[in-house]
Amino acid sequence: MSVIISKLIEVLYSVLPITAIVVFLNFTLTPIDTPLLMRFVFGAVLIIIGLTVFLLGVDIGITPIGNMMGSAIVRSNKIVIVVIAGLLLGFFISIAEPGLHILAGQVDAVTSGLIAKRNIVVVVSIGIAMLLSVGLARIVYNFPLYKALTVLYGIIFALALFSSPEFIAIAFDASGATTGALMIPFILALARGVSQLKKDSKSSEEDSFGLLAIVCTGPIISIMIMSILAKTDKITGALPATETLSTSIITPFLLNLPFIAGEIVIALAPILIIFLVFQKTAFKLTRPALRRVLFGILFTFIGLVLFLLGVNTGFMEVGSIVGYKMAAIDNHWYVILAGFIIGMVTILAEPTVNVLTHQIEEVTSGYVNRKAVMVALALGVALAVTLSIIRILIPQIQLWHYLLPGYFFAVAMTYFIPKLFVGMAFDSGGVSSGPMTATFILAFTQGVAEAIEGANVLLDGFGVIATVTMMPLIAVQILGFIFKIRTKKGGLNDNEQ
Amino acid sequence: MTMNSRAEASNIELIRVIVNYGLGSKLIKAAKRHGISGGTIILGKGTVNNRLLNYIGITDIRKEIVHLAAEKESAYRVLEKLNKEFEFHKPNHGIAFTTTICGIFGTKTMQCKSLEEESGADNIMYHIITVIVDRGKAEEVIAAATKAGSKGGTIINARGSGIHETSKMFAMDIEPEKEVVIILSEADKTEAIISMVRDHLKIDEPGNGIIFVQNANRTYGIHK
Repeated sequence: MSVIISKLIEVLYSVLPITAIVVFLNFTLTPIDTPLLMRFVFGAVLIIIGLTVFLLGVDIGITPIGNMMGSAIVRSNKIVIVVIAGLLLGFFISIAEPGLHILAGQVDAVTSGLIAKRNIVVVVSIGIAMLLSVGLARIVYNFPLYKALTVLYGIIFALALFSSPEFIAIAFDASGATTGALMIPFILALARGVSQLKKDSKSSEEDSFGLLAIVCTGPIISIMIMSILAKTDKITGALPATETLSTSIITPFLLNLPFIAGEIVIALAPILIIFLVFQKTAFKLTRPALRRVLFGILFTFIGLVLFLLGVNTGFMEVGSIVGYKMAAIDNHWYVILAGFIIGMVTILAEPTVNVLTHQIEEVTSGYVNRKAVMVALALGVALAVTLSIIRILIPQIQLWHYLLPGYFFAVAMTYFIPKLFVGMAFDSGGVSSGPMTATFILAFTQGVAEAIEGANVLLDGFGVIATVTMMPLIAVQILGFIFKIRTKKGGLNDNEQ
Repeated sequence: MTMNSRAEASNIELIRVIVNYGLGSKLIKAAKRHGISGGTIILGKGTVNNRLLNYIGITDIRKEIVHLAAEKESAYRVLEKLNKEFEFHKPNHGIAFTTTICGIFGTKTMQCKSLEEESGADNIMYHIITVIVDRGKAEEVIAAATKAGSKGGTIINARGSGIHETSKMFAMDIEPEKEVVIILSEADKTEAIISMVRDHLKIDEPGNGIIFVQNANRTYGIHK
């Protein structure tokens, strides 16, 4: 049982902080209606159970599938197979991603149907597919990650010159929205599977990261190209209103359950189908091993459904109410401080953060400690949310005022820090915009925007995820820099490298 | 040079401790406090004794295997202290055991007699050569060993720190990444392999790695 208990303890450490903060705020600054609060607490319980089951499932299901698939693809020793496998995997996993469909629906709504939902889903999936191929090819051809990132962000910068500010925000958000809780562990494992075949242990280690980073640029590039081609530079429509509040505690959970379960079935289907195809043709696992993977997929499903149920039903409304009430306090320092703290604790409960930090620990044999990465991420996201709140409070600040210097700095840093941390940092950017951030932090900032006169809920809402994705790139690279300084051998001439 | 000094009996012990994940660094810290100069940690996976979990396949408990080397008396003394501190006698608190090392290079704090005597006396056919170097250098070790007649080697990823590598970040110790190379060599080739590796990787200069040799009592699967 100790396996499950140790996972549970890990999850408790990551979910309890945010629960405690909200309950604390309830008794001090922002009282929440009793049914809502009850739903929040019930949601937190679901999240704790769900996250534990999900992470166990990822460990024995998704991660082994990704690892085996990565190795199998590369063992074919033909670049054609690597490219085609990348295209197929990327396309089908992305097209089944619920986050992408929600985002596409929103874009459809705000452009009054000028960019149809179906087109966005297909184009973004193609974008992800192509960049997954590029990312895999990069690993097998030993093309340095920092150069690849320079080129890709260079392309994004060039495209941004022709895109309107609104679409820049949407494009960057899309990268966060499409890389969801299923895709991220899978891509991380795929990268590990490919790179662990490398004989050169240094590059094997470095290339275990960075695939996700490259994939994340896919949606940005494809949405920008779409907006330029469709010549939509203004946002015209408005988002449909959100569902009405209910006073019942349990009913909303029951109402949401079939919807969420359906979404996750669709999202898991491609991974399961591709796995079964590989099992017949390439893996040929023994019965116990096959059973283990299938149980893993089952756990991933149950866990993710419980988790999302808790987040969507219990956390979202509370997030927006806390944001609204905080911003209504005359002294704006309160809401800025609250943004910092909420950013810091929310990221800890992000499922994908747990997966990434474990992979980091495993790949580096514990040299890069999970806790260190968590601290860097927490501070990065805390700053990101703070910056987003300041942007809502001060309308003169535009999103690109953050993104341009931020990404410039992040890409420039890749030239100076240990290369191992480049991949980790850019992967953690994609990781930090998981389901928790996309609901709770987004709801919080939208709540703030609603309370501030002159702020536009829609416009200020887009771009929050983009900022949250950007800050970890810098924070984790700074961590790498500290590691670089600190791992020198004392009392010796550093005669390495 | 550590090679030249000779002691009467084989007097270096390798301590191996298997503990739950996260305790490895604490263990090395404690060992250093008791006078051991450094240690290396390898990640491992343990098993569970639960039929349901076994059926489902949730079987991996993460473990850390800590390697420490010390002269016999201090090894036993430190192990006794570690036992008190980490309570190995309680279930699920870890396992510790020691084995004998018959040659060690690359450290000034321990000295060991040379190899020839050992292999001559006991008619040992094979030696286990373990080389611990910084991450990325294992390939060089194997290349050097192959040049001297070794048939191959196995690389394990690890982390660890010696006396020269104690750095802190906030409250956290940083332990650099290492690679452990295990080579099984025929007794008469051991000397050549070791001196080749020592030359190529400058093991005798401080901070470049450590080599230790153990006797293999029985081997299977090695083909000439």
